[in-house]
Amino acid sequence: MINLAKLDLDIESMQPSSAANLNGLDLTRVVRGLDLSHYVHIIMIAGADHATLSMQALDAESDSPVSKGDGASAIRANMRRARMRTASSLISRAHELAEQHRILREANDRIQEDLNAAALAQRQLLPEMHKDILGFHIASAFVPSAGVSGDMFGCFALPGNKLGIYAVDVAGHGINASLLSVAIGHLITPEFFGSIAFDAGGTPDLAGLVQNLNRRFCSAYNDGYFTMFCAIIDKITGNMDMCQAGYPAPVYVAPDGSSRFIGSGGFPVGMFPDATYENGKANFEEGGLLVICSDAASEAEDSHERPFGALRLCDLVARLRETDVDSIPGNIDKALRDWRGGKTLEDDLTVLALKRTKTDD
Amino acid sequence: MINTTKHDHDIVAVRPGAERLTAFNAKTFKDEVVALIDDGVTSLLIDFKDVTFLDSSGLGALAGILKKIGHRGDLVICGLNSDITQMFRICRMDRVFKIYRDVPTALQTMSEAT
Repeated sequence: MINLAKLDLDIESMQPSSAANLNGLDLTRVVRGLDLSHYVHIIMIAGADHATLSMQALDAESDSPVSKGDGASAIRANMRRARMRTASSLISRAHELAEQHRILREANDRIQEDLNAAALAQRQLLPEMHKDILGFHIASAFVPSAGVSGDMFGCFALPGNKLGIYAVDVAGHGINASLLSVAIGHLITPEFFGSIAFDAGGTPDLAGLVQNLNRRFCSAYNDGYFTMFCAIIDKITGNMDMCQAGYPAPVYVAPDGSSRFIGSGGFPVGMFPDATYENGKANFEEGGLLVICSDAASEAEDSHERPFGALRLCDLVARLRETDVDSIPGNIDKALRDWRGGKTLEDDLTVLALKRTKTDD
Repeated sequence: MINTTKHDHDIVAVRPGAERLTAFNAKTFKDEVVALIDDGVTSLLIDFKDVTFLDSSGLGALAGILKKIGHRGDLVICGLNSDITQMFRICRMDRVFKIYRDVPTALQTMSEAT
């Protein structure tokens, strides 16, 4: 039986205007004219004049025209043929779907393999930091929210007993953010940093470095941008020159245990071509601790959508100041996961912890 | 996703229509507001009263809208909560956008400027 409701046929609206005028041939033509996702087997039963009607039914694309005179056995035989044809069609369709599923699965596997390779390549660009550079003990944690990430950071010795450090967070997630972060990571080598982040007189000029990057990455064609914190720390004096470009203010914990944010904000990089940037200064005392976290830390939300917040992060860092520097990034990651009830972060997390241990290397 | 209300002086107020403006919906939000600009709207007020969270993608969308309207029109923001206000301050967006407490205050200021 044809379920007219399932076929979405509005018989009343068809021409001729009355359903009473719709004969089997009309109905067959209407059904064949529908854009159905499945085949409808039509058995047309004629009351008389079988030969003429058979031709008309075949012209209308009916499958099995039979006459009442053929008897019940002929109708049953046609019904059986229809069921067999339907079964055969379903088997064929199942094979097609299985093949399409296989092709999609293989394509997905290839994309996933590419993403895994990209994620691995990106991780290899990020320094695994549990080491001493110029009297600073440095540790890091990098926790991407997906396979690839928009975070990048680096830390290296510069000429003149100075330590250079930067952290970048590209807006957005996924492949676009990852490609930009990798491009930044390739660009900001120690040589590039050392040549751009000082003015002509040899004085640290981190705002000049960020200005340079802003010129390079500003585009009128997309909304891509990144936030950045960068600094140069003098090993001997502890003087820290820095520039904050939209990146969250790092937390500094003094040797006496007092904690505070450093930096007063700044435009992101690559957003406005005429943005200007400011140099900032701070003193990094012996025994002082500096912790740089991407915004995934302060924005981490618990089950009630309450953010972890900058103040809670500052308090956490202050409590961790006596612990081994190597364990600080991991402890912050754990505190954020606990805050979220074990759920993974929605954004990429970077934590960099630096402790000034000595100045007489 | 956006909801719009027309006011006097051809000012169009836009509510983003989502509590969270993030990577998941920022492009749709931007595209819909840019469509208003393309249709000739030159005085835009974006009301964030119902927005509780804005991430870097949401901020990028706002910056894109600002660049789109450029000097041809006026883009004003109101209703920022304390967290978004802090984000604006860190990124210096408070120096780029005209920000008011609420819709009536913004409308009054925009009307006086026309």
